Amino acid sequence: MTSIPDTIGGAVAISIIDFILSFVIISGIGLILTALPLVNRRWKINEAKLRSGH
Amino acid sequence: MIEQLLSLFKALLAQTGLQHFGWGNLLMIAVGITMIFLAVIKKYEPFLLIGIGFACVVVNVPGSDLVLPGGLFFIAQQGVAALIVPPLIFLGVGAMTDFGPMIANPKLVLLGAGAHLGIFVALILAKFIGFSLSEAGAIGIIGGADGPMAIFVTMKLAPHLLPQVSVAAYSYMALMPLIQPPVMRLLTTSKERKMSMAQLRPVSRLEKILFPLIIAGVVNLFFPPVAPLITMLMLGNILREVLIVGRLAETAGGTLLNIITLVLTAAIGSTMVADSFLTLKTLEIVALGLVAFVFGTGSGVLTAKLMNLFLKDKINPLIGSAGIASVPIAARVSHNVAHKANPKNYLIYHAMGPNLAGVFGTAISGGILLALLGTK
Repeated sequence: MTSIPDTIGGAVAISIIDFILSFVIISGIGLILTALPLVNRRWKINEAKLRSGH
Repeated sequence: MIEQLLSLFKALLAQTGLQHFGWGNLLMIAVGITMIFLAVIKKYEPFLLIGIGFACVVVNVPGSDLVLPGGLFFIAQQGVAALIVPPLIFLGVGAMTDFGPMIANPKLVLLGAGAHLGIFVALILAKFIGFSLSEAGAIGIIGGADGPMAIFVTMKLAPHLLPQVSVAAYSYMALMPLIQPPVMRLLTTSKERKMSMAQLRPVSRLEKILFPLIIAGVVNLFFPPVAPLITMLMLGNILREVLIVGRLAETAGGTLLNIITLVLTAAIGSTMVADSFLTLKTLEIVALGLVAFVFGTGSGVLTAKLMNLFLKDKINPLIGSAGIASVPIAARVSHNVAHKANPKNYLIYHAMGPNLAGVFGTAISGGILLALLGTK
């Protein structure tokens, strides 16, 4: 189901919406990544133990 | 006696494909040989071009039945059409990829969106010259420079265009070292190209393990249409990052990926049959694909320059073009152009940040496109 008309206007509309939304969503991913280092304050993984595993 | 021999030879000749050899076959065979030449002599993406070129040569030899139902290449094509091959490619890519550069410098993910303007320029132009909106979407996604994603989106939007879109996407990805640098040099000054960037912070193992879990959750929640690809990418990545299932990670990123690459390249090359490939539509799609790549390269560089207006620690604008996905080709191109301008500059690690973000940028663009066009 779509309300985007199969016209040049529809192509322009879909492009603008998609391009702007991409920025919004990827910014959200960027914000998550910005907050990710906070986990290092609480937990730490012993890599040597992991590597000596299975 | 002689007449009998002659008619026997005629009958034998009719069994072969020699009678059906046309100029189109010769042209496509030449295209295939050119691809192999570029791969072997110029070393342009041999892992892709050799298989594609070889299959292109073989299927354009009249009489070849490898693409007929039951044929070897036909089976390979079914794997692509059934959307089994693209997710498995992403599983292998995820198992080989270190997302550290992207995690270390989150602001660079914006380049993964900025470099995708080419998708929409190609989409609008495709609609302008007469393709339907769905076809235009499939053509536009070539600009995401992500082969599996291009195949995935095309199968959902315009499966009849799969040969042209997949050939354009993979060919241009392999030719990025030719396409991108002139655009990058045109949009940057010599001073900008020589810019060096500060070393990135180290990324902890915990961050690298949490990353695929978080992204898989986000994508499945917000982008179900493209969830199969990104989920497999993240599965491969977590196999790599947990360090305790090395066998699985090595298989996914090694043997399995090699097998799937063979199948994929054979499938793509075998779609380049002269009769169906040498059409005006193909030329239009190939031209639009080039437009998408050029605009994507340019918009990535310009997005980096725009970001520099607000940043204290400046970005070398050349890494903006790496946001076009196609890991790690685009990052390598950014590094090479920067290194040529300044031999002391090693930007590959920095360029990998936007390059990896570009994969998500293409997925997000493709997912929104599928959602807006009402396709699941």
